[in-house]
Amino acid sequence: MPQRPGGLSRRGFLKSAAAAGAATIVPSHVLGGRGRTAPSDTITAGLIGCGGQGGEDLRTYVEAAGTKYKVLAACDVDARRLYGVKKKFGPQADLYADWRRVIERRDIDVVSIATPPHWHALMCIAAAQAGKDILCEKPMTRFIAEGRAVVKAVKRYGRVFQIGTGGRFGAYNSPLSRSIHKIMRSGLLTKCPGVWIKKGGFPVQRYCGKVNLQPQPIPEHLNWDMYCGPSPLRPYHPHRFGWSHRYYWDYEGGGLADFAQHYMDPFQWIYGKDDTSPVEIEAVAPPQHPEACGVWAWVELTYADGMTLVLDGDKWGPRYDRKKARHVRETDLDEEARKKLKALPDPEPLLKFPEAVKTRKNSGGHVEAAHRAVTIAHLANIAIRTGRKI
Amino acid sequence: MPASDRLKDLVNQMPEPDGGGTYAGMDEQKVARAQTVVAELLKSGRAGVIGLIDLLVEPGKGDDVKPHFALHLLAVRAGMPGHGKARAEFARAVASQLTADRPKAVKKYLIEQLQVAGGKEVVAALGRALFDEELCDVAARALAAIGDGAAEQLLAALPKVKGKGRLSIVKKLAFLRAEGAGKAFRNALTDDDPNVRIAAAWGIARIADASAADALLDCAEARKGWERINQTDACMVLAENLAAAGNKPAAAAIYARLRKTRTDDSERHIRAAAARGLAAVQ
Repeated sequence: MPQRPGGLSRRGFLKSAAAAGAATIVPSHVLGGRGRTAPSDTITAGLIGCGGQGGEDLRTYVEAAGTKYKVLAACDVDARRLYGVKKKFGPQADLYADWRRVIERRDIDVVSIATPPHWHALMCIAAAQAGKDILCEKPMTRFIAEGRAVVKAVKRYGRVFQIGTGGRFGAYNSPLSRSIHKIMRSGLLTKCPGVWIKKGGFPVQRYCGKVNLQPQPIPEHLNWDMYCGPSPLRPYHPHRFGWSHRYYWDYEGGGLADFAQHYMDPFQWIYGKDDTSPVEIEAVAPPQHPEACGVWAWVELTYADGMTLVLDGDKWGPRYDRKKARHVRETDLDEEARKKLKALPDPEPLLKFPEAVKTRKNSGGHVEAAHRAVTIAHLANIAIRTGRKI
Repeated sequence: MPASDRLKDLVNQMPEPDGGGTYAGMDEQKVARAQTVVAELLKSGRAGVIGLIDLLVEPGKGDDVKPHFALHLLAVRAGMPGHGKARAEFARAVASQLTADRPKAVKKYLIEQLQVAGGKEVVAALGRALFDEELCDVAARALAAIGDGAAEQLLAALPKVKGKGRLSIVKKLAFLRAEGAGKAFRNALTDDDPNVRIAAAWGIARIADASAADALLDCAEARKGWERINQTDACMVLAENLAAAGNKPAAAAIYARLRKTRTDDSERHIRAAAARGLAAVQ
């Protein structure tokens, strides 16, 4: 049976719902149960990270989907970033320096996480533990293992998760993409001849870190210790903070990590790869600095079914020339398989976040899909940093 | 013994960063030079490694861009498959400098390279570093990454380490699912530091210690806010791990208690999760 996004079939959903008891099929808060706002009403939100992307996911995935939201709490390690919050989100927004206080709030439905990526996993896990639904900026995580921990926490508590990129929603609108998705999820194509090449669109050189940072005094308005958080506590330098955090392995992973989730989100949906990852990875790149992200040429990733994915930076070094891009087509199936394919249902529409919150189903950019998408970037960076074929 | 002139000349061949302080301008020539330097360093053995370390300075005290980069590339190269003997020699040479008279920031960097290329041969040296307040966390991370022989070092240090280091040690014991850490985790459930209590709860969950279930549930129920959230999750994870290990009755008991006791609307997600868990093990 074709799987809906997130890999839960209708039969599987009903089985688990029945096992858990009928009362959990329609959670009381959907009906506006005691003390709870029905999801058709205003969503109450906590915002962690008030920099450039702070609040953007609420606008993109809640407001643009026709649902109102109200920010009740906002947090940032940089006190300056809190100055404009009440003006932007209203006087009701309480301001915090410690994100754990936001998580503790009982009146918040959704946590929107817009910090640098090295904090994302811990915050997502805590939000799920506290019963919040989650909007998380991309890239979802900094490491593969923490992504799996996020997936487990979100599933454990039945939370709704939406990653801060929505390319798959656009992909769904393409008949070609839906056709490929249907073929790939049908199980009828045993050996995949597809080659998907993403060439360019990664700021390879621009996102290189500086290797000669000298310690600077920590500004009074910044909690540097809290900013570093789970990453190594390094001497403060302004280049490690703000936009340029992207250029350092401690916090992100260069242009590849910063942009790959955008490109991989539609790719994964189109090619039905939301529940799997590449099994072989090869990269062409120079030796990498331990702290500062560097340049790279291309990365070739191969899936177990034979699908090839290529990320070509198109800025440094040689260009990828091993294979040519190639869609998967119906003609890749034999006649009998094509008949079976025609009988299968078309892919179901992807749920927008507010609808997912209401129905407790997976949103379009759900946690497993997002984890698998960013895992591609992590695998690529591992191959780049180790200089090994994985 | 300071680095020889020959070694300094070799390291000086490492590529210069560009005007912006980055390696965005790496070209084939610079890559080849870096690879040549590292290959020569690998051949130079212990003396070369220590000479290279002699060129490191703590941040803000000078320019060590090239030796800093070279040491990391040497760690990556030594850590590659097929370099077993060279890797161990490199790691021992680096570890030997943790007790030398060097700045703490340099030692931190050395330990980070042991995280890349170290093995069981350096766990004792890293274990000694646990007693240094400034090095404890990075040493614990390196031990966790190495794995083999790490738990013994962490367990031995825990009773004697004070301050923040204790949290690092408990967390890494939990990460390693350290056999023999059960008593340490149970004792730490009543630590004065709430972060240590949370880490201990996680440890109990990770090692699936059924005997600690009631104590963990009691702790979680007694707490509020952040600590309650975390310790309750530890109860859920403990139940999951017990179920996965085949101890369904113990898992069921945890789920049943959570379902019964978490009556506030703010914890209805706990009740629902516990109900699902209970259904799965019955």
